[in-house]
Amino acid sequence: MLRRGFFTNKKVVKMASCAGLIILLCLAPLIMGSYSIHLAILVLMYIIITSSLRTIYISGQLSLGHAAFVGIGAYTSAILAIRLDWTPWGTILLGGLAAMVAGILIGLPFSRLRAIYFAMASLFLGIMITALIAVFPELTQSYTGLMNIPRLFGFPKEPYYYFFLGLTVLTLFVLYRIEHSRVGMTLKAVAQSHLAASSIGISESRARILALGIGCFFAGLAGAGYAHYSTLIAPTDFALMPSIYLLVYLLVGGTGSFAGPIVGAIVLVLIPYLMGGFKGFAPFFLAGALILVIFLIPQGIVSLPDRTKSWIRKLHKRRVSESAS
Amino acid sequence: MLLETNGLTKYFGGLAAVSQVDMSVDGGQIVGLIGPNGAGKTTIINLISGFLRPSRGSIIFDGENITGKKSHLVAKLGIGLTFQIVPLFSEFTTLQNVVASFYISADSSLWGSIFRTSTYRKREEYILNQAEEILQLLGLDKVRDELAKNLPHGYQKMLGMARALAVKPKLLLLDEPIAGMNPDEINLALKAIEQVRSQGVTILLVEHNMVVMSICDRVIAINYGRKIAEGSPEEMKKNEDVIRAYFGGEYAT
Repeated sequence: MLRRGFFTNKKVVKMASCAGLIILLCLAPLIMGSYSIHLAILVLMYIIITSSLRTIYISGQLSLGHAAFVGIGAYTSAILAIRLDWTPWGTILLGGLAAMVAGILIGLPFSRLRAIYFAMASLFLGIMITALIAVFPELTQSYTGLMNIPRLFGFPKEPYYYFFLGLTVLTLFVLYRIEHSRVGMTLKAVAQSHLAASSIGISESRARILALGIGCFFAGLAGAGYAHYSTLIAPTDFALMPSIYLLVYLLVGGTGSFAGPIVGAIVLVLIPYLMGGFKGFAPFFLAGALILVIFLIPQGIVSLPDRTKSWIRKLHKRRVSESAS
Repeated sequence: MLLETNGLTKYFGGLAAVSQVDMSVDGGQIVGLIGPNGAGKTTIINLISGFLRPSRGSIIFDGENITGKKSHLVAKLGIGLTFQIVPLFSEFTTLQNVVASFYISADSSLWGSIFRTSTYRKREEYILNQAEEILQLLGLDKVRDELAKNLPHGYQKMLGMARALAVKPKLLLLDEPIAGMNPDEINLALKAIEQVRSQGVTILLVEHNMVVMSICDRVIAINYGRKIAEGSPEEMKKNEDVIRAYFGGEYAT
């Protein structure tokens, strides 16, 4: 990452495969039906949100209320578009900014809290925000939910797909660059040892607030985009359970690598839909997946290739030593 | 005078861990802070570096009153610090540990990180070179790509010092820099400390191992939180109070 031979072959291969993947994803709608495009849009949205959750996670903060920031983005954008008749293109950006400001404001007092205390605080934040939405019924329609939110595009779903694909690529690009820079190092440093971090001049709260600001911004963007896609949002969409699901996606995918939340979101969002008539069992499936991952592959699904390799190596070694004896 | 404390006092509950300590460190010197276990040496270091707030007294660094300032701000003013038990960024490599420690002298902007502007790349290259220099100075270049958590104890201690150097300190506080090292490692560490001083960094080091006296210009002895003696290493070796503190009354002549 910080080596001098910057453009090594590995790097070129990586960039080429990313470009190839994006081109494939651009062509994909040609062979997809309306329902699969809908699924793809959901997956893309969850990739953005789960990745933004991981950015907060690497600074040592476990947020149990991340969906609340998605909701702030969604409601801000929807209300501005309905009330003031602003174009969704502008309000989506404002939705992201609103979520970012909320994240920073929450971070100011709470970023001093470490580990479980921050998790508790974020948990109550998530509950509080759904309650807040219910308190202003004339603005938010309370638990009925906001309806008839202006759409971003007309009826076929393809434009939405390209919109979310673009947003995902942009988000992942920015988050990747940040994580693999010294700014990202600062975030990870604070999580690893706050003593060491402050001894080299890093302000723990500043790093954590930065992570919250970045993470919440992209969560808000995704939420705002979703509001103008589904045209219907309700407080329960952003309550405690969705926040927990986001965490499960992250943990099952793997927290340690950038691809973790991407893989987690793809697998866990898709599988319940593919279960067909057994969709009602989705929560059990998620719980089962989480338990399996925690016990068998604590580094998440992304660590599976390495894991399998080392299992095979071990098996091979055992066989060699058996045949020798 | 680079560092000065006046009547520095710290109570933990009713116990005075540090009591009325006046001491001063001149620029360019290696000053040793010695004393038996529990004498209050580490507390003094923690007070200076801002990890603890003094109950009374003041700390003046480079003409500025830094009493009670937060630790990351003290670091920004130019005080580097290593710990007795080194808290490392254990998931980073040796090199990354040092690179991350250039936080103060070269804060990287979000904008630059995302778009990899030419200023950003130039600065990263510069930092990388500086980091490699520090690793070489302390003999850590052999383990540059190892994860910090996998390093042997001696290397971890040196890495703590490397990180403190990246802060580009005027004053370096070393808390027991050679504790737990074997004799070979001790020799290397002492040489490294002298190297660091020759680059113009003032050093205040805490030890109870008397070996370090050999590289000190001046030694301050502490016992029960009070300063009991001060002088050159030779004077201190003969000082009765110091000998009594270390070995008990019967060894004093």
